[in-house]
Amino acid sequence: MRILPNYFKPLYAVVLINIIGFLLLYFYRKPLENTTIYMGLIVIALICLTYVLIIKMNMGDEYLFLIVSMLISLGVIMLYRLDKELAFKQIVWLTCGIMLFFLSYYAYLKLELWDKLLYCYLGISLVLFLLTFLFGRHIKGANNWIAVGRFSFQPSELIKVLYVLFLASYRNDPDKLRIDNIRLKGIKLNASSQLIFMAISYCFMAFLALQREFGTALLLFAVYYTFLYVMGSKVPVMLANGAFALVGGLLGYFLMYHIRVRVDVWLNPWKDIANKGYQITQSLFAIGAGGFFGTGLGLGHPDFIPEVHTDFIFSAICEEMGIFGGMAVILLFFIFAYRGFKVSLTVKQPFDKTVALGIAMMFAFQTFIILGGVIKFIPMTGITLPFISYGGSSLTTGFISLGILQAISKKSL
Amino acid sequence: MFEILSSLLKYIFTTVIYFFIFSVIRLIYLDIRSINNRLETAPGKHPYLKLINRRDSLSFKVEESYILDNNKTLGRSSKNDIAIQDPYLSSRHAEFIIKGDSYYIKDLESTNGTRVNGMRLADDMVRLDNGDKIQVGQLTFIFVKEY
Amino acid sequence: MNVDRRIIHVLVLVSALFLSLMAYLTYFELFEKDKIMTNSYNRRQYEEEEKTLRGSIYDRNGTVLAKSEIREDKQERIYPYGSLYSHVIGYNSKKYGKSLIEAKFNAYLLGTNESSLVFNLKNKLTGSEREGNDLYLSIDHELQALASKLMGNKKGSVVALDPKTGEVLAMVSKPDFDPREGKLAENWNNMVEDEEAPFLPRAIQGLYVPGSTYKVVVGAAAIENGLDSRIFEDKGAITVDGKKISNAGGKAYGKINLKTALAVSSNAVFAQIGAELGEDKLKDISDRFGVGKDIPFDLPVGQSSMQYKKMSKTDMAAVGIGQGKILVTPLHMALISAAVANKGVMMRPFLVSRIVTPEGVVLKGPRPGELYQVMSAETASALKNMMCEVVEKGTGRNAAIKGIKVAGKTGTAENELTARQKDKEHAWFIGFAPADDPQIAVAVILEYSGSSGGKSAAPIARELMLSWINRKK
Repeated sequence: MRILPNYFKPLYAVVLINIIGFLLLYFYRKPLENTTIYMGLIVIALICLTYVLIIKMNMGDEYLFLIVSMLISLGVIMLYRLDKELAFKQIVWLTCGIMLFFLSYYAYLKLELWDKLLYCYLGISLVLFLLTFLFGRHIKGANNWIAVGRFSFQPSELIKVLYVLFLASYRNDPDKLRIDNIRLKGIKLNASSQLIFMAISYCFMAFLALQREFGTALLLFAVYYTFLYVMGSKVPVMLANGAFALVGGLLGYFLMYHIRVRVDVWLNPWKDIANKGYQITQSLFAIGAGGFFGTGLGLGHPDFIPEVHTDFIFSAICEEMGIFGGMAVILLFFIFAYRGFKVSLTVKQPFDKTVALGIAMMFAFQTFIILGGVIKFIPMTGITLPFISYGGSSLTTGFISLGILQAISKKSL
Repeated sequence: MFEILSSLLKYIFTTVIYFFIFSVIRLIYLDIRSINNRLETAPGKHPYLKLINRRDSLSFKVEESYILDNNKTLGRSSKNDIAIQDPYLSSRHAEFIIKGDSYYIKDLESTNGTRVNGMRLADDMVRLDNGDKIQVGQLTFIFVKEY
Repeated sequence: MNVDRRIIHVLVLVSALFLSLMAYLTYFELFEKDKIMTNSYNRRQYEEEEKTLRGSIYDRNGTVLAKSEIREDKQERIYPYGSLYSHVIGYNSKKYGKSLIEAKFNAYLLGTNESSLVFNLKNKLTGSEREGNDLYLSIDHELQALASKLMGNKKGSVVALDPKTGEVLAMVSKPDFDPREGKLAENWNNMVEDEEAPFLPRAIQGLYVPGSTYKVVVGAAAIENGLDSRIFEDKGAITVDGKKISNAGGKAYGKINLKTALAVSSNAVFAQIGAELGEDKLKDISDRFGVGKDIPFDLPVGQSSMQYKKMSKTDMAAVGIGQGKILVTPLHMALISAAVANKGVMMRPFLVSRIVTPEGVVLKGPRPGELYQVMSAETASALKNMMCEVVEKGTGRNAAIKGIKVAGKTGTAENELTARQKDKEHAWFIGFAPADDPQIAVAVILEYSGSSGGKSAAPIARELMLSWINRKK
């Protein structure tokens, strides 16, 4: 019997996890429904198919999708346990996501124009911002959703990707941003590209803050600041930006009620445990209820947490899969981020290098921000946990980013 | 009944997740090691093994060349200096030995044997000269020694 | 390459971040967890809940205000009057926990308190369904509904008490919200971050500057110190240590006594009285009325306060007219009104009148009790007469009822917003009726309304008192 190559061993683990998970889910709900089994098989099939394709067609780094598939599996299983309907939708989004993954992979690889589209990225972002202002609907405290018929989608997710592409194309060709001798009402204007770049970046963050997307604004700042560092910006520039952000943050704290609420709740959620502190304290109860191995799937009460299917799904995982389960998720995200950084290190072309770095940083910081908020390590912000939280926009843009990263990893071989 | 099932399976569940994590880490580690074994120094300083086969015709990962700057073992097991997942290799298949200025190959009682220039090795060490063809498993290497 | 080195630095940073996450998670599990898991908001402790049919809550006449029904194998909490009792009964949600009465009397409603255990045992043995106990509130539903209707869309609070027993007859706080499970989930995030604070039970937790209604308290001290026989010169304004305090509209009333001064709500006179009484007497009367002390009640009440270490002359003048660093809850103002009504005795307020088991056994009955002996009956009587003058001839005319003697005091309080914006005063009215045999004491506040107490708050009080008195006949 031919021994199958080593790459497939971890895949068995993912398949096994899905089998155990869906088996439990099958017995969890009475009456027993066969759709559960079918759903499990669909997930397994999607994952195996994609993984085999990646290996056989030599599509670059093998580990990126592998790790993501484990995260997806844990996410779908937990979502199914929480709400069957959401799980169905998530699986639909998963299929879309995987298709987008392949699409963006080939698009990035074959079309040679991605480094030249700086103005496009800015333009599309501006359009998205405007659309949200004009047509945005208030959902659960943030004005950042656009509804088209039955589907609603979050443009801020797409803007994250666009910003990374903007960063990279700026680095590639900074002069595109320079303003030389433009006449504005008789005054001559001159601005260095670095200044314009900074201004535009802060505009992105400001727009997001106005939409009350504080988490994404913070995320963008983290990516922006580390980008400045990696580009070798001088110490005064770094300090100036840091000070500017600090002032902005303090202003936000004092001027915006929402930010004050979040910081106060982070410091002492017990004071207003009935209302403002309710979510985070319920999250802590859930995390504590599981012990190290968890209560077991279906035996805990993660449904006591509001928004458990999106922001707080990690707490549900900690409750039913234990602290070890939670640690596993953190480790998985870490290895994933490491892999992204490695791709960025090995690829030679500066544009690709920056895009890969941006995507890796985006995933890494986003994960840190949301996990930190959910365990009360830092204040809570309303962003999603990539690949695990329920959400079409989050999942699809996650796969688009993954596709781009995958394409760059192919280029680095 | 479900409660018992879930309570028991949770331990297995956690174990499988960690097994996954560790096997991924291990694979990555091996990846890094095999890159380090590639040609780092300028060619010509040490002899090396050059792969003849077409890499994309093989279902396992193998490098274009392996530098022989030290005694090296070759085989399927990851404990070897040159670890290749060729199913036709034994876990410890062969060893390359340096004595002074001379390079030798020795078969380590492998199942499918080691051939040098078509001749299957017995128990003894055989000296390698520039241009010798070495066959192990499905792979064919040329021993390159350029000084 | 330099860039690569820096990328590695960022990678190290990211590793540190993730490591800190894992470390904090472990720390939490090992050290912090046990301290918080017994918090009453951790519902995992109460998994037994589902197995008991939660008790109902009624008003004093038996009108159902909250009940539980089993729908499709799950218990659902029904509130027939929606938002009307959101700040009295609160909510009982699986997702968001419990608040107010639902929270404080949870053990009774589930039948898990000590006295119910005997009955529970019997149920367990006979195998019958477990039911919680029922609560009968002192609230009168008609009055509560009327108060809410009169307030309309305005923000603030209305509290009505029986001055002789301390029963709370009506307690409305606005803005309010829909306490039903589904609506809570829909609106939660918006409401929690809403600057108008719809979750705040203003009647018991709202702290406001009392304005001229505090002249009742100052008036009590004035009477005790013989100032009721004095004639004051009201020139429309008075300057205390360089600070000018004027009457509303700058009107000068000339030579008037204390009674008239209260009736027209003269700031000039009361500022003078405040300065004359001095720090000790002002602090003493406030303390006797319960300012700076906790009010025992079936729900947590914010503490009224008068925060002064040392008082300057201008401080005393400010307190004299109910401005300055004084904050009161609407409930407290109703109690102050009730104290005057009840011959100087402030009764302990209560909301839950009876607790009854499913079998009809009364576990707890109404037990009215005295809270403070604020002033002598004579002082109270004199004060009462002055408050009648307010309604008969003074600023409280809108509270007058034909054929019934009404006592009251208006207030139009300057607050933290009025310094910079127009029309942000609080409109207050406190009062009771009938003056000679008080049945009801009320406090009405319309926050930041920009209108005067006499114009906007007094009519609401009038309607409430009229309705209650008519029904009591």
